[in-house]
Parts: sequence; structure tokens; C-alpha cells
Amino acid sequence: MVRKIKDWLEVRIGLAEIIRTQLTGYMVPGNINLFYTLGFVALAAFFSQVATGFFLLIYYLPHSEYAFRSVQDIMSRVPYGWLFRMMHAVGSNLMVATVVLHMLSVSYMGSYKKPRELTWVAGAFMLFVTLTFCLSGYLLPWSQLSYWATTIVTSIPAAIPYAGDMIAGTLRGGEMVSGATLNRFFAIHVILLPLLLIFLFGIHLFLVRRIGVSSPPFGRTAPRWRPGTSFRHEDHPDGHPFYPYFVQREMMMVFLYFAAMFFIIAFLPTLFSPDDANTPADPFRTPAHIKPEWYFLPFYQLLKLIPNKLLGIGIQALLAALFIFWPFIDTREEDNILKRPRLLALFAAVVVSWVILTVWGRYS
Amino acid sequence: MNAPARLLWLALALLLITPGLGRTEQIVCLDCHDSDMMRKELRAIPEEWRKSVHFQNGIACNDCHGGDPGDAQMAMSPERGFVGKPGYDQIPQFCGKCHIGILKNYLDSGHGRALKSSGSGPNCVTCHGSHLIQRASIDIINEERCSQCHTYERAKVIKEALFETERNIRELRGSIEALHKAGVYTEDLGKELFSTEAEFRTLFHSVDVSLIRQRTDGFLRQLDRIRGEDQNIVRELRFRKNFASYLMLVCLAAAGVLVMLFRTKG
Amino acid sequence: MDRRRVLKSLLVLLGSALSVSLIYPLVRYLAPPSGAEQGGKVTIKKSEVEVGSSKDIVVRNIPAIVINTPEKGFIALSKVCTHLGCLVQYEKSKNRLLCPCHGGVYNLEGTVISGPPPKPLQKFAVKVEGDSVVIG
Repeated sequence: MVRKIKDWLEVRIGLAEIIRTQLTGYMVPGNINLFYTLGFVALAAFFSQVATGFFLLIYYLPHSEYAFRSVQDIMSRVPYGWLFRMMHAVGSNLMVATVVLHMLSVSYMGSYKKPRELTWVAGAFMLFVTLTFCLSGYLLPWSQLSYWATTIVTSIPAAIPYAGDMIAGTLRGGEMVSGATLNRFFAIHVILLPLLLIFLFGIHLFLVRRIGVSSPPFGRTAPRWRPGTSFRHEDHPDGHPFYPYFVQREMMMVFLYFAAMFFIIAFLPTLFSPDDANTPADPFRTPAHIKPEWYFLPFYQLLKLIPNKLLGIGIQALLAALFIFWPFIDTREEDNILKRPRLLALFAAVVVSWVILTVWGRYS
Repeated sequence: MNAPARLLWLALALLLITPGLGRTEQIVCLDCHDSDMMRKELRAIPEEWRKSVHFQNGIACNDCHGGDPGDAQMAMSPERGFVGKPGYDQIPQFCGKCHIGILKNYLDSGHGRALKSSGSGPNCVTCHGSHLIQRASIDIINEERCSQCHTYERAKVIKEALFETERNIRELRGSIEALHKAGVYTEDLGKELFSTEAEFRTLFHSVDVSLIRQRTDGFLRQLDRIRGEDQNIVRELRFRKNFASYLMLVCLAAAGVLVMLFRTKG
Repeated sequence: MDRRRVLKSLLVLLGSALSVSLIYPLVRYLAPPSGAEQGGKVTIKKSEVEVGSSKDIVVRNIPAIVINTPEKGFIALSKVCTHLGCLVQYEKSKNRLLCPCHGGVYNLEGTVISGPPPKPLQKFAVKVEGDSVVIG
């Protein structure tokens, strides 16, 4: 049976050749490591979000009158609604974590260097899209937490001279966060961002395949491959086959990702949903301690530390630009960070200050 | 700067939590009552109120005393409905503006009739205090308080009759709060409990032992039903934990098998 | 080689267990809600509620009241106050519903007239069919 289907496809699309060139004969570097699977894990995380998000849409009502109630119905009345909702909510946090880890490992291994600048830029934008996903999805349950976090975020652009009020108003769809804001964020969350992310992912994957997988600078067996003045695909003839060698490792990491997700659902179900997350939004009562989610804490704390709001936003914009265009700033050829003490120090400084700002933001 | 980046640092910018943000309006009453030009006992009022259950639920000066909390000049003008401090025998009507059911039972009770006939029976503040008012509990009935006017005997009998129901309510409230902390939306269950509790509290103000005894069974049945719902949720949470643990174990096992598989290859 | 075979079949087994464990919840999730949740209509006799009087009923586990108003005929409202859940009482003389707990007042449309309730009372559909009134 399987054989018949294979033969049928062989005649029409040349299946054997695809398998040979894309899977078994597609070689990845001999010294490749588990960190290289994180991109695939992030992709799997995204698909999980799409699937669970679709299931949630079946019962979710995007209207300020019904949103909170519909989410609570999914959690308590619809059979197994809790499972898909928790997978979606916990998954959003884990997806950010995976994307951030992917980015850290890419920076540490210098994979953003020539000729892969564009791959990095596309990835940086995908990180931004992921965070915007979180931000817009956060408002949808229409809880106290989501309402007030969104109120604060959407008030930030008001500090921008001249256009500030207009931007804030456009985001909110009015003076205050209201049902209009909910509908805007809903549209962004379920249509705009998924399409944008898939588009960016297409570019990202195209670049990875077209340029070839980079080899980690550590434990190289072959001499380092250096890009020349004209395009050439980087291949690794003496490496490992993509399938089964690398796919097995990717699958193992995906299973670990889901194991972590179910661990949180089973043992730390309130990790990402404090009390205020199951209290309906009340525009007349500000909860005592609203903190942004962990991935926004460093930016939140940095903004709090800078007394002038406009200056704070300016600095963050500058940091964002530095981040996006980093491969064009760090153009030194040496890609082993261990041979570049100053780059290593910078990397460590960024990670440490990230951690400090997160902890500080959490407990201040 | 393009669209995703701009949206991002809006997001990045998540912050500036100013605690006052969103607080609705300023209450001018506090400007004077908090200042040191006020007599000591009048100055103590805002502090007491801030510790009260009324404060926690957003009940402010004007909700009881009338007047205009938004206009310092006219704040205490009768034209704006200011009623000031009620006379001793006016207190039940004063509190009863909101606590309607309780007022009705109180007026029919021995306490209420005593106040009406002699002008000196116990009123709301005798037991509950005024500005420092707290969520009521059965401990309000105690020897020290009751024996100011009569022997504790009768009060004790009532307290005993209330005890079981009260204990049940307290237990359930704790359980529902715990569920809320565990991430469950408990508003419906909480409202059911509150409604039962309120009805029970109303009854309690009749200070009529035989009536209380007669209706206790009904209350206990109602509480049992709420407890049943509460237990269902607890069981459901346990199931969710087990089910998610099982899914976790399957994933871990699959990851483990894959590790063994690529170790075997050689 | 034998070991690889065993591991592979184990992997297939675990994979199927996981799929089944996610597909079963999905099937349950997508199944239409059971009849008990959807139905729950209450039928009473017209003669049970005279003009100007009321009757307490329970619709889908919610305590409710049917009032036969002189102006608008039969209306049915939930008795559960939207503030903290106490049961409101019908005050015939004042044409209103009053909550005994914190003095929330609703008119016979269920709209909040005064007091702390944040939302109107839930309304139930009423259909008069010959001699009987169907609520819910």
C-alpha cells in the first residue's frame, strides 16, 4: 500500500529525489549541537499555538461583554477546554523562551555573521512579532490583569511628541481601553500576526536553506568555511544526514518542550495566571500590583529607571535598532566568541543585565 | 521604523506603573479630615475608614453621609444631600439605606423594639462599630458586649444555635478563596455562598432562637449543595493535574526513547 | 539492529498514545453541548399568575420570577442580583425589584435604577401559548 502511494508520487513529483536532496542526502555539519534544534522547536511551538488557538476560537467571543465569560466557560464548562486553553497560555510563554534561547545561541555561536545577516534580521523581526502576539493575546481574556496591563502599555506612546496621542488613540480605538481595543487586538492577534509570522518564517527558512547551515565555531573538524566575494552554498559533505540524524534530535527536543509544557500545566498551573487573571476586567478599579509578564520585565524596569519617559522610549528604540542591525555592526570575521574577549564581555554583560533587570522589575 | 518594530517597542515599553493611574476621583472630605486642624476624634475617622470593609469595597464618605465629595465648598451642604452624623435612634435607618433586609429584621427584633420604645436599646454601632466596620463574625456575640444590657445566657443560646451554620460558611468561604487562588473563576459559587450567608445574617438579627433553630436545617442543606459544587471543582482540578502529568510522562518517555535510539546507532 | 526495532516500535506506541490522548479531548471538546444544558424551559399555567401578581420559578438552575404586569403582560427575570448574588424581591406597590442585601433597585425591565448592581438582571424569553406561559 505504502509502496503503491510512493510509486504513484514518484512518477508525478520525483519523490525519491526530494528525499535524497532534502532529507537523507542533505548533510548538516559534523559538529552540530542540540542548540541548533531550537529554531525547529520554536516552529513546533508556533504550530501548537495555531492549533490550540483555532480550538479556542470556536468558543471564544471577542466582545467586552462576553469575552471574560466565554474564556471562563472554556476553562470550566466545555469538556477539556482547560487543556487547550492552558496549552495556549503556557505555550505562549514557552514559545517566547524558546525563541529567546534560539537567539542567544545564535549570537553565542556567531551564526549571524556574513553571509547570514538577513537571516538574523528576519529572525529579529520574528521575535518582535512573537512578543506582539503575547501582548495582543494578553488582552483577549478581558480580565483585570489583561485590562490594566494593556491600559499601561497603550499609554506609553502618548509620550511621543506630536503624534503620541494619535498613536495611543489609534491603538485603543478611543480615549480608554474599551471593547473597541479588544476588537482591534483580536483582529491583530488572529489574522495579521500569524500571516506576518508565516511570511517572515518563509524568508528565514529560505535563507537558511539557500545559504546552508552554519557550523558551530567550537569543535570544528574541518577548516572553517569562509564566504567569498560571490555566492556559494555552504555544504558539509562529511557531516551527518539531516534525516534521520538531525530530525531525531529535533523531535527529542520537541518532546521535551511539550513535557515542560505539561509539567507547568500539572504542577504550576497558576505560574502565568495570578488572581487578577480570573477576575473580570473592571475599568473603575486598578489592581494593586500589576506587573508585566516576565519577558517584558527588563524593558519595564529600564523604562522605570529613566526619569524622562520620552528619553526612555528613545533609548529602547535605539536598543531595538542595535539588536536588529547587529550583524552590520559586528563585522569582524572571527566567529569564535571565545577568541574575542570584548565581544564575550559584551554578551555576558547583556545577559547579566537582562537577568538583573528582570529580577529587579519583578521584586521592586 | 516599520510596523512590527513600532508595535514592539510599545510592547517593550510596558511600563511605568503609577499606582494612582485609574483611581477614579479625589474625595475632598479627606483633605480636611486628614489635616491636623481637625479635632482628634474627627481626624481619626479617615484612618479607621481606610481599614474598614467599606473602604475595601469602595464605599466612601458620601455613600452614607451624603454631600458632595467633589466640591470642597459645598461638600457638607444639606443642599447636596449632606446628612452628617445621625442621632442615636436614627442609626438603624442610616445603615439600613443599604442594608435593607437586615434593617427589617432588626426593627422587628427585641433589640429594635427596645430602641424604638425607650430610645436606648442597642443599635448597629453597638455591635459593629462605625467607621472601622469589619466583615461581621459570630465572635461579635460575646459576654462582654451582651452583658452591658442583659445577662449573657440568652445570647449564648443564640450563639450556639448559629455556631454550626457559621462554621460551615467560614469553611466554605476559605475553600472557595483557595479555588480562586488556584486559578478557578469562582464568582458564581461565591455569589451563591454570599446570598446564603446574607440571608442567614439577616435572620440572625431577629435574635429569635426558635426561628433560628427552625430555619437552620434549610441553611445547612443549601450549604451542603454549595459544598458539593465546591468538591466537584476540587475533584476536577485533581483530574486535570493527573491528566497533564500523564501527558508529561508520555512526552518524557518519547524523548528518552529517541535518546536511546540515536545512541544505539553507533 | 534488534534493539533499534524495539525502540522504534516503542516510539510508535508512545506517539499513538499521545495522539489518542489529545484527540479524545478534542472530540469531547468539539461535541455539541448535551441537551440538558440547552433546554430547561419552564411552563406554567396562565391562571397561576394573576395580573399584578408574581410567581417564583427556577429556570436552568437559576431562581427566577414571573410577573404578570398590567402594561406589558408576562415578564420573566432572574432573581439573582448582579451585585453579590442575593435574591431580589418584587415590590408590587412600587413596581420595582429590590435587593435586600445592599439596596440595589431594578425596574420591571431588569434595568438598574439605583444602588451597587453593575449590570441589569438576566431576562428570560416568555412565550404565551394558549393557556400556558413558556419561560426560557
